[in-house]
Amino acid sequence: MSVLCPILRGSFEDYRRDALPAPQRRMLREHLAACPECRNLAAAQDPAMLFARPFATEEVPEVDAKRILANVRTAVAFAETERRIGKSSRRKFASVAAAAAVFGALLLMAPRGGDRGVETAAVRPTPAAANGATAALQPVALATGTAEVEGVSTDATVYEWSPGAGREEPRVVWIVDRGLDI
Amino acid sequence: MELVYSQSRDRQVSAELPDRDLAIRARGGEMVAFETLVTRKTTAVVSLARRIVGNTEDARDVAQMVFLRVWNEIHRYDEKYSFNTWLYRIATNLSIDFLRSSRSRERAHGATLHIVREREESSASDATRNAEDAELARLFETVSSRLSEKQKAAFVLREMQDCETKEIAEILGCGESTVRNHLFNARRILRKEIGRLFPEFLRGRPLA
Repeated sequence: MSVLCPILRGSFEDYRRDALPAPQRRMLREHLAACPECRNLAAAQDPAMLFARPFATEEVPEVDAKRILANVRTAVAFAETERRIGKSSRRKFASVAAAAAVFGALLLMAPRGGDRGVETAAVRPTPAAANGATAALQPVALATGTAEVEGVSTDATVYEWSPGAGREEPRVVWIVDRGLDI
Repeated sequence: MELVYSQSRDRQVSAELPDRDLAIRARGGEMVAFETLVTRKTTAVVSLARRIVGNTEDARDVAQMVFLRVWNEIHRYDEKYSFNTWLYRIATNLSIDFLRSSRSRERAHGATLHIVREREESSASDATRNAEDAELARLFETVSSRLSEKQKAAFVLREMQDCETKEIAEILGCGESTVRNHLFNARRILRKEIGRLFPEFLRGRPLA
């Protein structure tokens, strides 16, 4: 029994209530690990006090540590590969989705049935466009061989979008040529 | 040849860096830094996981999951905080998840058998361990089966890993008062279980 024993025995209750400041707590734990009498007394009051002592960290044998490292290395390499594959398939998916969206938009906008091969060369403004509002998409008539559409095949349909119809604003014109074999 | 030299030099440099710097380098994608961290922290992580999940074999599986999670989440690591706290948080959460799984439940029910087998096998690590620590660890594995996962984790972190209440709160993601509550209840349950299963300790039986 040391001089510390009676002093530290008085702090068992505070330890149990987790009310000891860190230095005293450390001192008590170290004392309990070294003094069997105090430890037995503490355990008799509260058996959970058996665990009130510094525990040595269990060493992992070198072979096991190496195995853990090797497994982690493999798992990381696998995760990284998966991530890369995931990224490239996401990119592919995005391109396919964009292409599908453009194709779908074209299909929706394409003239149906007899609209193909319009014969007059006049632009037909919608009523909204005539009022200065945003113009709807219109197929523009094609006159094969005119200077305006020189070089465009007869199978082609020309679309025009004039958002600022009636004003001096740029027009958007594009040509869908079904005769092309891409 | 140059590459081999460069890697061994990197390892040498990494071995001298503190945890925080290694974590920052690993966050930048430096594998050597990450591997140095794994080597350095294996013992601590296995030790913590073992105390929560109850056996070495599962603790090693958990440790591997912990390090893989660290690699995957390293971009979230904030160097303002201690790397150990962040690592213990991951290790504790994964150990708790493991304990919750049905597989570990089955093992927990057979914990006593497992402990007997381990004692008989008397592994090399047991031989080097302090005999009293070993007995206390076995005692804890037996009596802690009635604790909830959080109570067990809080108790292990406080009593066996010697963490401060504030740090445990950060690790478990709860308030300090909740940690104190877990600790209070864990002690109450352990007291009851030791009294029921090992009454000789109440009469002052010496350890080991």
